[in-house]
Amino acid sequence: MNMVGRIVVVAVGLIASAAHADHHGMAMNDSAEEPRAFDASVDLVAASYSTLTYVGDYEGVLPAVGWSHDDYGFGASIGLYRIMLNGLDQHGIGDVMVHATARLYTAEHVTAGAMMMVSAPTGDERFGLGMGHTMVMPSLFGVWSTGRLTVSANAGFSRAIAQMEAGHDHGVWPLVEPMNMSEISWGVGCDLALGRGMHGVVHAAGGIPVGLVGHERVIGAARLGWTSGRVDTAVEVQTGLVGDPFTIRGLVETALHF
Amino acid sequence: MFVLAACSGASPTPTGTTCADPDPVTGTTTLTWDNFGHDFMFKYCTNCHASDLPNSKRNGAPIYHDFDTLLGVLEVPDHIDEQTGWGPKAQNDFMPGGGTNNRCPSMPGGSLNEDCPEPTGVERTNLAQWIACERLRPHDFVDAGVGSAN
Repeated sequence: MNMVGRIVVVAVGLIASAAHADHHGMAMNDSAEEPRAFDASVDLVAASYSTLTYVGDYEGVLPAVGWSHDDYGFGASIGLYRIMLNGLDQHGIGDVMVHATARLYTAEHVTAGAMMMVSAPTGDERFGLGMGHTMVMPSLFGVWSTGRLTVSANAGFSRAIAQMEAGHDHGVWPLVEPMNMSEISWGVGCDLALGRGMHGVVHAAGGIPVGLVGHERVIGAARLGWTSGRVDTAVEVQTGLVGDPFTIRGLVETALHF
Repeated sequence: MFVLAACSGASPTPTGTTCADPDPVTGTTTLTWDNFGHDFMFKYCTNCHASDLPNSKRNGAPIYHDFDTLLGVLEVPDHIDEQTGWGPKAQNDFMPGGGTNNRCPSMPGGSLNEDCPEPTGVERTNLAQWIACERLRPHDFVDAGVGSAN
């Protein structure tokens, strides 16, 4: 993968993560290498959590597809989960997410762009699988790279399309994708190319509630990825640092580029 | 996408029930914890929503949603109204049973081994009315030794 391609992978991956609570790898996409590209990926996720009102764990399978053309990209994903909450075993889908990205500026070492992510409330909010509202999550990202190192940052505003009531506080929600109904979402990351197609990433992401009730959230993560032909694979371990998004979460991703 | 959204379960909806002034009367009896709330909660709710149950025995009931005392009910009156109450704006049937495929435990903390008892429409309407009024009434839980004054 060339440098610009790697920049796009890191940038879009991190912003997708930060914008929707940190584990969607639907952006493992090296669109910069080809004018047009189609990607399909599957994420496997497992986590334990302990929140204000629920204790348990969940596992999920998250298929995703993406398509890109020049500086523009589109993608969609959905999760299928099994969740244990306070002794109750439930299965179901999560919220459908779609996103569009645009690279707005590209130079030798710098790339910047914008992303719009929207989620539809297909997951059942009563079981912690869905937000219960459509979420709109516009954001901006920037990437700087030199040699083996790529540094990324992003920030955006996430807002539920719903009337929020003061005092109606469930904490961050849903359990499988924790975030506030209105928040500043952010992410920073550092990617180091290790050679032989391998790269290591550390990143952090979080949310700062805006207006009414809410809870700050910060997660930290370490990731090891490798590329073999048209297949990207990565393993990642995440932990909740601030708030109670989850105790620990593991993620395995595989993406195929056509 | 929005077709998919429509396929998900009904969302918790406030019933819009308000407490008349003076307190409403059903028949000749004003709804209270002693003559209505206690019996309703212990008949339909406390096998999962009880303060003495460990997390793993709650069959999905959220922590701090314990209805074995009036204080516990008044901690989350909106949630009760939105999940179980009937009123002018919504008829909520999610609880009991909606979250557990209509199966409930026959004993506190037990497994989901029987069909859930189903409150009648009148009981659900009375629940919403009682909640709407009870939350406005003065309570002195400190004197009762179970919480802070309200």
